[in-house]
Amino acid sequence: MRESHTAVIERNVTWQGEFATEPYEVAWAGEAIFFVRVLAKENLPDIVAAHVQISPDGMHWCKEGEILYLPTYDFDGDLVFCRVEHFGGWLRLAGELPEGASATVIVYLVLKE
Amino acid sequence: MTDMQEALLHANPLLSRFDPLPRIIVADDFDRGLQGWTSLIGNYEDSLDSILPPYRDLRGPMLSNLSMWDTGSDGSVSGTYAMKLATRPHPGALAVAIKRLTFRHLGPIRLEAYFTFKPEAAELKLSETDVRAVGVLFDLQEIDRHGGMPQRVMPHLRYLNALDGEFVGRWQFKKERVALHEIGGSGKTKSHFHLAPEGWEFLPDGDQRLCYNEIATKQNWYYLRLDFDLATMSYLRFQCNDRIYDLAGMPGVEPMRMPAMANLWCMLNTAFWVETDVAKRAFLYMDSVVLSGDW
Repeated sequence: MRESHTAVIERNVTWQGEFATEPYEVAWAGEAIFFVRVLAKENLPDIVAAHVQISPDGMHWCKEGEILYLPTYDFDGDLVFCRVEHFGGWLRLAGELPEGASATVIVYLVLKE
Repeated sequence: MTDMQEALLHANPLLSRFDPLPRIIVADDFDRGLQGWTSLIGNYEDSLDSILPPYRDLRGPMLSNLSMWDTGSDGSVSGTYAMKLATRPHPGALAVAIKRLTFRHLGPIRLEAYFTFKPEAAELKLSETDVRAVGVLFDLQEIDRHGGMPQRVMPHLRYLNALDGEFVGRWQFKKERVALHEIGGSGKTKSHFHLAPEGWEFLPDGDQRLCYNEIATKQNWYYLRLDFDLATMSYLRFQCNDRIYDLAGMPGVEPMRMPAMANLWCMLNTAFWVETDVAKRAFLYMDSVVLSGDW
């Protein structure tokens, strides 16, 4: 049986300006999905990118390359995801919202061996 | 415990470093995953906004191989992974891991663990007063056919490492109840923040210097044991490394007690937590946890 775990890394948290999820350790996992469910949004621009970031120590971060675009239009629904693999020991999502824009979110990190 | 049982326990590499009671309820080595240790969330109705504010952002557990920026992976006591709790980086922030069970026998239980704690190594400084506290609790409720006035009983112990930048290094307990709040409009949901900073009292003779070990990237593991009697709902004994407290002989050391709640019968929850004193993440690592009972 493969080990698996779903971590709720943000719950009912409002992103404004620069945002980043708390560092989460994933060294045991081989694959991951970030899900972001938007509970409320205000003044979001057409495109809001959250970058997957990796780190050797949980303190210094670089972009992994995968990008998760928040659902900014009503027809986008409220749930988006991105897949990541081969990521080392830590994962987080980071991005920036323009002044006056905000998104209240639940972020899940779904991990599998 | 029979001689045969004892011999078998001592032949088992995980269990030989514990002193369990005859029935092992849980033996969790975090090299095998999180094994039922999960996040604590406050009660809510209709909206997450109804959660009491201090309950809204308790950080949950993760698996860690204790990788440090300067020396690489430390691993755990006898393997690679430990359960890690990490707070957010602001003073007073908490992270909690809880395991939720029920009990089948009213008698002694014993919780044992190997643990360690450190601040995030975000500065090249000693940082030994950055972690405010680490703690352990049971959350218990008596049986539904109690006959008398059944209670919810919540033994809480914590090691107050530092407060407002000053080293303390003393064990504390909490018997003072905090206010119970109605949640939502149904009249069926209540919540009280039992990990609040108020109401902690020093355990008699409770000072203990632990092995901080000089810099933030070195971890030394500690042994913890808490014995509690479900029959009398009272403390029996507490131990951290070489320090042993006969809590049964300390009448003033009591758990929080309150009237039983509507749907918690036979509850046997246990939790560990960590609190940061500064604007820096505090980490608690658990290598392994054994819960045992005497029946």
